[in-house]
Amino acid sequence: MLGTSVPRKEDARLLTGRGRYVSDLRLPGMLHVAFVRSPLAHGRIRGVDADAARAAPGVVAVVTGDDPEVAGRELRARSSLSSYVETAQPLLARDRVRFNGEAVAAVVATDRYLAEDAADLVVLDGDPLPAVVDARAACAPGCAAVVHEEAPDNVLVRRRFEAGDVDSALAAAHLVVERELRTNRHAGVPLEGRAGVASWDAGDGTLTLWSGTQIPHMIRHGIAELLGLPERRVRVLAPDVGGGFGVKASLYPEDALLCVLAIRLGRPVRWVEDRLEHLLSASHARDHVYRVRAGLDADGTVRALDADVICNAGAYSLWPYTAALEPLMAGGLLAGPYRVDHYRCEVRGVATNTAPSGPYRGVARPATVFVMERMLDIAAAALGLDPVAVRRRNLVRAEDVPYTSATRLVHDSRTYGACLDAVLERLDYAAVRDEQRRMRGAGRALGVGLAVYNELTGMGSAASAGPRMPFRTGYEMATVRLDPEGGVTVLAGTTSQGQGLETTLAQIAADELGVAYDDVDVRMGDTQGPYGFGAFASRQGVIGGGAVLLAARAVRDRIVQIAAHLLEAAEADLRVEDGRVRPVDAPDLGISIADVARVAYHEAHRLPEGMSPGLEETRTYDPVRGTFAAGAQAAVVEVDRTTGEVRVLRHLCVEDAGRVYHPAIVAGQIEGGLAQGIGGALHEHHVYDPDGRLMTATLMDYLLPAATDVPAFEVGHVDDPAATVTGARGVGEGSTLGVAAALANAVADALSPWGVETNTLPLTPSRIHAALEEAT
Amino acid sequence: MKPAPFRYVRAGSVAEAVAELAAAGGDAKPLAGGQSLVPLMNLRLARPAVLVDLNPIAELERLEVEDGRLVIGALVRHRRLATDPLVAAHAPLLAEAARWIGHGAIRARGTIGGSLAHADPAAELPCAAVALGAELSVAGPGGARTLAAAALVDGAYSTRLAEDEMITAVRVPITAGPVGWGFAEIARRHGDFALVLAAATAVPGRAVVTLGGVASAPLRIDGELDPQQREEAIAGLAARCVELCEPAGDVHATADWRRAMVGVVATRALRDALRC
Repeated sequence: MLGTSVPRKEDARLLTGRGRYVSDLRLPGMLHVAFVRSPLAHGRIRGVDADAARAAPGVVAVVTGDDPEVAGRELRARSSLSSYVETAQPLLARDRVRFNGEAVAAVVATDRYLAEDAADLVVLDGDPLPAVVDARAACAPGCAAVVHEEAPDNVLVRRRFEAGDVDSALAAAHLVVERELRTNRHAGVPLEGRAGVASWDAGDGTLTLWSGTQIPHMIRHGIAELLGLPERRVRVLAPDVGGGFGVKASLYPEDALLCVLAIRLGRPVRWVEDRLEHLLSASHARDHVYRVRAGLDADGTVRALDADVICNAGAYSLWPYTAALEPLMAGGLLAGPYRVDHYRCEVRGVATNTAPSGPYRGVARPATVFVMERMLDIAAAALGLDPVAVRRRNLVRAEDVPYTSATRLVHDSRTYGACLDAVLERLDYAAVRDEQRRMRGAGRALGVGLAVYNELTGMGSAASAGPRMPFRTGYEMATVRLDPEGGVTVLAGTTSQGQGLETTLAQIAADELGVAYDDVDVRMGDTQGPYGFGAFASRQGVIGGGAVLLAARAVRDRIVQIAAHLLEAAEADLRVEDGRVRPVDAPDLGISIADVARVAYHEAHRLPEGMSPGLEETRTYDPVRGTFAAGAQAAVVEVDRTTGEVRVLRHLCVEDAGRVYHPAIVAGQIEGGLAQGIGGALHEHHVYDPDGRLMTATLMDYLLPAATDVPAFEVGHVDDPAATVTGARGVGEGSTLGVAAALANAVADALSPWGVETNTLPLTPSRIHAALEEAT
Repeated sequence: MKPAPFRYVRAGSVAEAVAELAAAGGDAKPLAGGQSLVPLMNLRLARPAVLVDLNPIAELERLEVEDGRLVIGALVRHRRLATDPLVAAHAPLLAEAARWIGHGAIRARGTIGGSLAHADPAAELPCAAVALGAELSVAGPGGARTLAAAALVDGAYSTRLAEDEMITAVRVPITAGPVGWGFAEIARRHGDFALVLAAATAVPGRAVVTLGGVASAPLRIDGELDPQQREEAIAGLAARCVELCEPAGDVHATADWRRAMVGVVATRALRDALRC
């Protein structure tokens, strides 16, 4: 069962149009919400005139930031980091707007058309204030724009990671390379945007929020706190969700406002964002600047790394991960899978008048891997070494494990080198270099680029990579329940946004219980089920799967106990397989699990003395530290020197996902991540003009990769089981991490005869062409 | 992303459509394929009070040779332009240009009349129509008139059509002798609007390059071509194209890059036109 690509549980429903997304929900009396969004990036609000909107057809209510039920409530993302400046995010802008797209009013009407017609009539009277969109400008002395008064220098968080003696190591190094590298702001853009339906039951004082969220339990906690409701009276349901990629792992003001409106109006309210709203106001990511010095020996050994990192946090510190999410991840993992003893990294999260930054597949590491891998290639070129040799010299080796990094993360992966070797073998590195020489002879620019990376997946309660929020997200809870006819239902605290988690969890339960896959159903995404933190950080399979495994094991133990009692056999003489408990020495005898379940529920008097009726167990799993997933990628590109266009000829990826439950799902995760990575490296770029207006608010200007932009990927595996209960390592984000690095290195390699470097993303024709012009 | 309220009218004939446009007093838009207009309405950047649907008008779907011209009804879809043997025989440049438009779903709906009237500076068909010396049949309350494709556009997204006029057909002259043609485009992704594009036509001794994406309207640049010194002539004409255009920069590309690419696409199109 485990290790085979069984038909996905979700597919019959999703592929036949029977999925149940938030926007499919129709409740009696349901109203529709449209938000009025600020055209200003930064301004003082003199007033919001909603009189005409209130009188418009179909309008039930219009609320603004001054509304007492709105003004009194704000989201505050908390962190115990000493440098963290806590700021508030209002449900609707009040007094000040801080980014283009921030909601200033909400219109509730009988349908979305009428709501938008009325929203059109709302007039924001605002005085523009100086706006700043560039994070480095925002934290430079004397910046005229101050986004939050609490942070006069716009720095919301700062932290220094330091180990060893960086200055001495740099002074002693054979070579010091120093570069500035920039990564491009982009967004997750799931197929389904954000969506919510809130409903208030005045009869028993309960609030229900259907939301396409990745973190239902945390959303419940946040909403209950914000509204002053008992947490037990708030229920959050995440039905089928059409992609998240991290964008749906925050609590947004819109979500909270829906709940306020549902309670006030006593009618269900629905908001399904459109793409314009999504691009304007859902979280962005990866707008970073890195200033890096690397010191190396003549043989390519990296002696020291000294980095200054500025992450653009946008206008607000999003709940719950805070503005520290990206900077801390960048500082904690900049060295990736490489041994760097002398390490210093100063990180800052800086407020600007742009959409708030938040989690997005890979969180900062697609940027840090790009930076680290570029630095290695630049250094290799300066030292006259092959990029492969420099990597091999510095990777954490199998014999180093467990290896504690300069940032005190414990590496458990033995396969960084194995992943690189596997990629090079499949690539036929020597042959590609030969081809490159031949092509160069003909005036063509072919290049090959490498990236090796790691991802700390399934972070347990002792993993300290997070921004020190008031909760540690290190465990998941699951219940495995047999019904009286022996059917299995798995209730899990973790959730899915289309990753096939129903399938994976069912496989784990079926395997552990010794029952058929078809006899297992999985229910997730409901806060009335077991507790859990949700879907992020490539944790669902590792932690959620581990919890299911432990719960299933506990149920199996109960089944064996009951069967032993009924069969008058010793537990040690029984085994469970194919839905039956069989004596080891007489496999044709025994009792079916269905019969055991019937006894457990309907003939409890036959149970062993003292055993309570029923057949279900709940377990939690905490991997304590988490497990590193390893990966290596290689890209082969051709650059058209007359236009600067990049053609990706080949893209290879080998990952160590530990034990693979479902090869097709793992392949899907890897290929999806690669495609998203290609988008981020070549096309996607959110751009604000200097006044803070988003120039890329439609998909005509924010360019996603299309089928014609991605090559057929070549994916391989190194499956080294982790020390987790399932042996799995997380696989959701990993492949996204290496793409920009491999492509940037490949383009730089292709253009190395002209001395072109690719230290700014994305790799647009315009930028590459300009670099070539400058070089020649 | 819901449009502002509008009235929807199905026109059964050109006369009816023109009457509806006139009755709306300048506040109506004809609806053909809707591939640009409808997104603009959803963004509320276009807010016509009346939408006059031309799709029921069968005569706008004509595609035939008449009086030495290929006559293409305004409702002929891009897909048909790209695949119809008549277009391939008499206006292969137009067929090639149509292949560069958007994706299959867009080409299945978008129309030649709609594309010309929308006048996107980076669109393929306005350039191709100018390159081919096409004329447009235009209907209005006062009757029909003819307008050169080169005279249609008077600015970005702006034409010399009156608010109560509509394009009914595009007439492409079928030349007697052999005409070379070429089409080249650079876009960020296949199917995007061009960052720069060039359509070239050549007759013995002379070539014309029509550029898109570099000015508010298609830019037509012609030159002599000495058949003895073809390479130099191509380089010279491409250089003139670069010199004469003043492209703007945007989020996709800088002005400098666009200008450099004008030379690239002009050269590519001219090489194709001259089969060298």
